[in-house]
Amino acid sequence: MTQAETDLEAYRNILQQAIEDGAPAAGVQMAQEALSAGLSPLAFFRGVIEPVLTDIGERFSRLEIFLPELMRAGMVVKAIQAQVLEPAIRAAGGQNFSEGTVVIGTAQGDIHDIGKNMVALMLQVNGFRVVDLGTNINPKAFIEAARRENADIIAMSSLLTPSMPYIRDTVQLAEGLGLRGRFLLIAGGAPVTRAWAESIGLDGFGEDAVEAVEVCRRLMANRRAAPTHPSL
Amino acid sequence: MKNTTRLLDVLDRVETGPIEEETQWDMMTVPLAVAALQAEFDVNFKPLGETIVPADDALADRVYAAGLALAERLGAFCISTSRRVRFARDEILTALAAAPIEVTVGEGHDRHTERKRRIEDPACMTMKGGGVGTPVPEEIYLAVHQSYAQEPLVDAMINCTLERVYGRELRSRSPWEVLAGWHEAELTRAACRRAGRPGLGLGCVENAVSDVAELSATSYGGFSPNDWHHIALISEFKTDYMALTKLAHLIRTGSIIHAFYNPIYGGSVGGAEGMAIAIVGGCILLQMLYMTNTHSVSPAHPFYDNDTTPEIIRAISVGHQALARNSRLLTDLVITPVAGPGTATLLYECAALAITAAASGTCALIGPRSAAGTHSGHVSGLEARFTAEVGRAAAGISRKEADALVRWLVAKYQPELTARPAGKHFTEVYDLTTLRPTAGWMEVYEGVKAELRGMGLKV
Repeated sequence: MTQAETDLEAYRNILQQAIEDGAPAAGVQMAQEALSAGLSPLAFFRGVIEPVLTDIGERFSRLEIFLPELMRAGMVVKAIQAQVLEPAIRAAGGQNFSEGTVVIGTAQGDIHDIGKNMVALMLQVNGFRVVDLGTNINPKAFIEAARRENADIIAMSSLLTPSMPYIRDTVQLAEGLGLRGRFLLIAGGAPVTRAWAESIGLDGFGEDAVEAVEVCRRLMANRRAAPTHPSL
Repeated sequence: MKNTTRLLDVLDRVETGPIEEETQWDMMTVPLAVAALQAEFDVNFKPLGETIVPADDALADRVYAAGLALAERLGAFCISTSRRVRFARDEILTALAAAPIEVTVGEGHDRHTERKRRIEDPACMTMKGGGVGTPVPEEIYLAVHQSYAQEPLVDAMINCTLERVYGRELRSRSPWEVLAGWHEAELTRAACRRAGRPGLGLGCVENAVSDVAELSATSYGGFSPNDWHHIALISEFKTDYMALTKLAHLIRTGSIIHAFYNPIYGGSVGGAEGMAIAIVGGCILLQMLYMTNTHSVSPAHPFYDNDTTPEIIRAISVGHQALARNSRLLTDLVITPVAGPGTATLLYECAALAITAAASGTCALIGPRSAAGTHSGHVSGLEARFTAEVGRAAAGISRKEADALVRWLVAKYQPELTARPAGKHFTEVYDLTTLRPTAGWMEVYEGVKAELRGMGLKV
């Protein structure tokens, strides 16, 4: 193992410990030291944050860890990004390396939010910028928030069959406003099926929080490769 | 005991309690409180390979103490006002001391009394059979419900939801929801009449996603105060004005209240230990907030939407044991299997939870919500008959015996869960002219019963 690889492993261990302890300050301090030692923000993200968060995501998918641990990971990584990486990138005149921006919320008529929160956290720990609108969000509010935040993806959750029509309304509203190419629309939740998602013209469907991340990554990769309307 | 004085007290607190951000509640307040109580009361389970239905009274008592402390320290959160609703310990103890230990649902000769049970109680559980909110096509809605109502061991029925109403799409908090509530009342009562059980108590209003369907359908000509009316405590420990509006209506109409709380495994309450504490705390808060007659839990798996994975079964068992040993609360359990009609997997899952519940002091079984309630029309009366039969056969068995049976059952169905075998549609497992299960479905049912008899269960 080279010295650089040894250093990265040491940073990863410190980050893991900071997450376990719920200690953003320890993570921030380690990131500052790493950048002071010459690591670029991108190399730090790819070599330290991404592997640790991938491991956390996989452990959550096996239910070896739970939402509180995901929350701690999100808290620590958010602090590192906001206090260390983003200022360093701005100072160098570069752009941040977010995977994309996701506006997320529970559809109109539904106030369930734990499942939606899990998806939001999983997206966050996987490098997406997430704007959580909360619950009972009407179609217009989804679209307005996506415009305001310059979002890539609108992610809608529904646990109740009678709130599902409002997801379709959001798709139709985006189409009616000529925004279908600008925003990718996805949905999930217990009664939402892949077939239904396809039938109403959604761009993606996630069975659970783990698949939601995979779908968002795939959609963003498609968008980068060919910025046209992607398929499911 | 429910009354207007307590209702006014709850409504006052909803508008005067401490203000908090909802995200703070979800992401910090609840997880930290549950984790702290788990450590404080030393709530730790043994490895799953050793036991799924524990026979540890001291553990059950610690879980109860932790759940009681959770209800006191946390209270509930009102989404509509962003305020916490807090209760002092003496208020909680007073309310728990006055909680009803029995409730009679339904009318006339078809009424049924659900009673408090203790751990390993030889008394049978109440069976509230039905698809529990599973969407069902309008054209077979009556037939599906008749398939439950005609089962002699079904003591009360729990309704499915309508997929459409008058052929139109349902939308929450719209006139369609009102029409769906009325349609549900008309069709389910008709199903009971056709089955010759006109007074069967109905679990309603399943189409009341918001308050409007409950308010409209629980009125003259609709559902009766002697039916059992649902109010949710939203995960985790949250209420809102829609739920409280239902509550106000149900109290002023003198209706039986059935409140439920469905914690999510791996969510804000953490793993199995946190979930057991949350089950106790949640049931106590259902009593404090909603003055409910019956307290229902159906924990949900974050990936399968079910409550039949072994870690969740154990949390249910310990939580219900804690409540059975230490409280008067009537505890119901919604059975939510992954598998659907026509599969042996569904029956194995139902048997595991029915046996667990029988030994853990649960008062009533609800469901099954086959195929996790997510596949339209994938429900049938036969699985309710089977669940009731197993529940009755298991009444009086020890937790040790239950543990052995449940571990045997889990080993049979657990490998199937990832495939999510949704089984068959109602029209494929029932003859629609005679409303009898098909020969194929009966063969599966008889086969699983024979296996259970082979394991010593007199079913």
